[in-house]
Amino acid sequence: MDNKKNFSEIIRSNAVTIMFVVLCIVCLIFSGQTVPYVLYELFGRMSRNAFIVLALIIPIIAGMGINFAITIGAMAAQISALWMIEWGVSGLPGFLLALVMTLPIAAIFGFLIGNLLNKMKGQEMIGGLILGYFANGLYQLLFLFIFGNLIPLNAPGLVIKGSTGVANTIDLSNDRGFKYALDGIWKVPFGTALYVVCGAFALYTILMLVMKKLDAKKAGIRIAIAAVLVVLYQIPFVASLFAMVNVPMVTFMVIGLLCVFNNAIMKTRLGQQFRAVGQNRTVANASGINVDKVRVIAIVISTVLAGWGQLIFVQNMGSFQTYGAHEQVGLYAGAAILVGGASIKKANNSQAILGCILFHLLFIVAPSAGKNLFGDAAIGEYFRVFISYGVIALALVMYAWNDVRKKSNLDEL
Amino acid sequence: MTKSKTRKILSGILLILAVICLVVGGINLPKQTGTAGEDILQDLRVQTLLNATGDSVVESYVAIAKKEATAKAKEAGGGMAEIRDAVAKAEEETREKYSNAETDYSQIETSGLKSAITVYIDSIKDYAETEKTARDAYIAEHYDEAKAALDAKHEQMLAAGEEVNADEEVVVDMSGFEPTKEMEEKQAAAKETYKGVGKEVQGIFPLLDDAALETLEGTVEGILYQAGDNFALQYDRYTANGAKNVAGSAKVLRYADDLLFTAIFLIVLAALLLYYELLVAKLGMPRVIIGAFFVLLCFMCLWYDLSLSTLLSNTVVRMGMNAIMVLAMVPGIQCGISLNLGLPIGLVAGLIGGLLTIELGIPGWGGFFFAILVGSVLAAICGYLYALLLNRLKGDEMSITTYVGFSIVSLMCIAWLVLPFKSLKLRWPLGTGLRNTIGLDNTNFRHILNDFLAFNIGSFTVPTGLLLFMALSCWIVWLFSRSKTGEAMLAVGNNARFAESTGINVDKMRIIGTVFSTVLGAIGILVYSQSYGFMQLYTAPRQMGFVAASAILIGGASTSRCKISHVLIGTFLFQGVLTLGMPVANVLVPGSTISETLRILISNGIILYALTKSGGASRG
Repeated sequence: MDNKKNFSEIIRSNAVTIMFVVLCIVCLIFSGQTVPYVLYELFGRMSRNAFIVLALIIPIIAGMGINFAITIGAMAAQISALWMIEWGVSGLPGFLLALVMTLPIAAIFGFLIGNLLNKMKGQEMIGGLILGYFANGLYQLLFLFIFGNLIPLNAPGLVIKGSTGVANTIDLSNDRGFKYALDGIWKVPFGTALYVVCGAFALYTILMLVMKKLDAKKAGIRIAIAAVLVVLYQIPFVASLFAMVNVPMVTFMVIGLLCVFNNAIMKTRLGQQFRAVGQNRTVANASGINVDKVRVIAIVISTVLAGWGQLIFVQNMGSFQTYGAHEQVGLYAGAAILVGGASIKKANNSQAILGCILFHLLFIVAPSAGKNLFGDAAIGEYFRVFISYGVIALALVMYAWNDVRKKSNLDEL
Repeated sequence: MTKSKTRKILSGILLILAVICLVVGGINLPKQTGTAGEDILQDLRVQTLLNATGDSVVESYVAIAKKEATAKAKEAGGGMAEIRDAVAKAEEETREKYSNAETDYSQIETSGLKSAITVYIDSIKDYAETEKTARDAYIAEHYDEAKAALDAKHEQMLAAGEEVNADEEVVVDMSGFEPTKEMEEKQAAAKETYKGVGKEVQGIFPLLDDAALETLEGTVEGILYQAGDNFALQYDRYTANGAKNVAGSAKVLRYADDLLFTAIFLIVLAALLLYYELLVAKLGMPRVIIGAFFVLLCFMCLWYDLSLSTLLSNTVVRMGMNAIMVLAMVPGIQCGISLNLGLPIGLVAGLIGGLLTIELGIPGWGGFFFAILVGSVLAAICGYLYALLLNRLKGDEMSITTYVGFSIVSLMCIAWLVLPFKSLKLRWPLGTGLRNTIGLDNTNFRHILNDFLAFNIGSFTVPTGLLLFMALSCWIVWLFSRSKTGEAMLAVGNNARFAESTGINVDKMRIIGTVFSTVLGAIGILVYSQSYGFMQLYTAPRQMGFVAASAILIGGASTSRCKISHVLIGTFLFQGVLTLGMPVANVLVPGSTISETLRILISNGIILYALTKSGGASRG
């Protein structure tokens, strides 16, 4: 009896995720795409998108909902990327310098966003969304009328003669850009990557065991899992599935680092404050926390991380649409994290990663599934946009619904 | 009135400046058409004419210098190469000599030339008028023919499934036009008078031969006369064509009208400075800023000689076409769901109504009302379901309505691709689905409200039908809010808990408000489409909810309170800024999309402002 209740409870609280898994499987079957290709695409998309999705976690915990204003972080990143090309700092130095340059710009933007959102408590999500649109207007002003006109740009290809402002596409793949600056450092086939990761994991476990931070049973299980994975990969069928996958090790390491950071910060005093503010602002205020300041810090961190995430994204893509690359960042990242089972109050790393996998899996297979089912690829395109908006709407509705129900339950009591 | 002394002094200075501008401008403006203006123009004409002919004189000098150089080089017994060098050198020297040589016009006796020019201008004017009447007569005679040909072409294009531009104007083929006898006579007379001008010019530049004068005739005509000339146009043309010697008084005369505009602008500015606090208190900061911006744009239109009356006429049209969608925000705010950013639900329903009308081929008013009826019924059904959803989520509507609206729009993108419409006006001829923009034409409801009883006052067109429809809709909404149900709805919007305790069914009132808002959205998009001339499908309705919301906020509404006047003022200001902003921006930065950027900034800025006002600034 108890089990049954738990089961239905689990289904209900993970309805979005389960629905998405089913949807992905159906689309995968009808898309007619081969598994190796899908996996190849998936790893590419994960490497460039996961970071930005992880940037959403802290504001959620701090009770500000999904930070749709991360588009502004992406704008900061694109401003830095533009100047790297203008100055001709290419490759890894260019990428690193862009990271450094994004930091203060995004931090200032984050500070301003945070202060504005503090004036609309309870409306942060719609506020962030509209703020993103508003900032897009300022961004256009900057790129159309200030860069290239008031502030001259000299690098070839940045400004097209006869039109105003910066060109529509900024190319990072020439000798001035930093395409693959991060991905290209250490790129290995999937097998090698698996061995490296499993090896490192086993070593780490043994180290922990030696230092007596882990009991033998747990360590045994962990090493066994690593071993099983390696053995599984020896089966030719499994290996053939991953034949096309090349893993950009450093990029994934950076993503892993961010996960560690997200966990670590929650264990600090600041992290506790995030949590306290997220749970109840009044209580947090009464216990002496400067609520407004904590919220601003959460947004600043998120904005800077989003900027870095956008840099990872563009170095992988090799070019970006000057006036469009940032627009959908908030939407896709927000939808992804909700798909993974996060709500607008709770989120963690694994939800973000799982959501990113599922969401982008659907992105890969939806167009060809749409084409095969309805004879039109455009349907698949529109379908995935619908899914992105729909998931967010659904998550918001379900959350508000539960909230109202809880409240009315309390009223009845 | 302000208490700050500096501001009082500042506005005093502005007022004094305004009076100066007013006096100087007022004295000089009538002179433009008087003898003083004519004298200035005459002087400029001579300068421009001499400048143009002078260029050809330089060519003559160059030819002579070349000849001399060749002769000299030959005498000195040089070879071909030396001759070439000498010629090139002579040409360069001559050009340099004359390019810097400013002709001193004051030393030249020009009274003969002036009178010759006057005679000449009169005769070309005479000729041009004759030609125009002849052409007009020809066009009137052949108009029906051309229209029939165009209609046939459009029908053929539609049959072939191509896009038809409903705005395409009927162009009469002028190749069959032959000059009348009268025209030929007048032209000959004009040629004769040109000879008089030529003689005078030759008197000044003896080097100019008859052949050179003849080739110059076209240029001279173009400089001296163009259809629709007035003082400002002629002045600008002459100064652009080389008249450099312009007296200060002439400049004042040219810009007399701008001085008057500046005077009024300064007065407005002074008033703004004096009554700033009062205005902000009465209207609120954003409305003062946007209102001031609108006034500034009006003056910029005047300064840049853009047709303000045409632009204001466009503003009124755009106000009429957007007002119903903005009005749709009113029942939403009144019943307490705040800004109905889920408006696209209504818009989509209206679009389906419009599509059905075209599919079934219902013409004229019948078609328009059929579209409204179908759209309203669909909108009522969807609005009801939507209201049921909203009733379960009280207090958190805005972000949810936004995303529900977005989802519906993208869901409908799929629907537009698969809905089984047959008409080729709606479908892509090749490929699947409906067109992105569907052009309306005279067979359905294009401009049906705009053209109803429309009349012109100068270049200001009054779209009577559109304005009547807008007024009627506003009146209905106002009347509804006075009814018993409407008052109950207002009570719910003001304070749901209190309303509930007085026995009002809160959920029911919210449903009524939401349904009403959605239905108005459906009607609004149809009014918008008939005026715009196109129905826009796919992602176009996505942002329209924001545009409507920002318009009512600009008008002075908040997320919980609004009036009909907010709708009218807000729509006028918002559309006015956009309509005037575009041509002004194009003068400042040619070919830019700055007015689109402006729309983004204003529309989202005002929503942000409203959000900061609605949310608590407390820490708790």
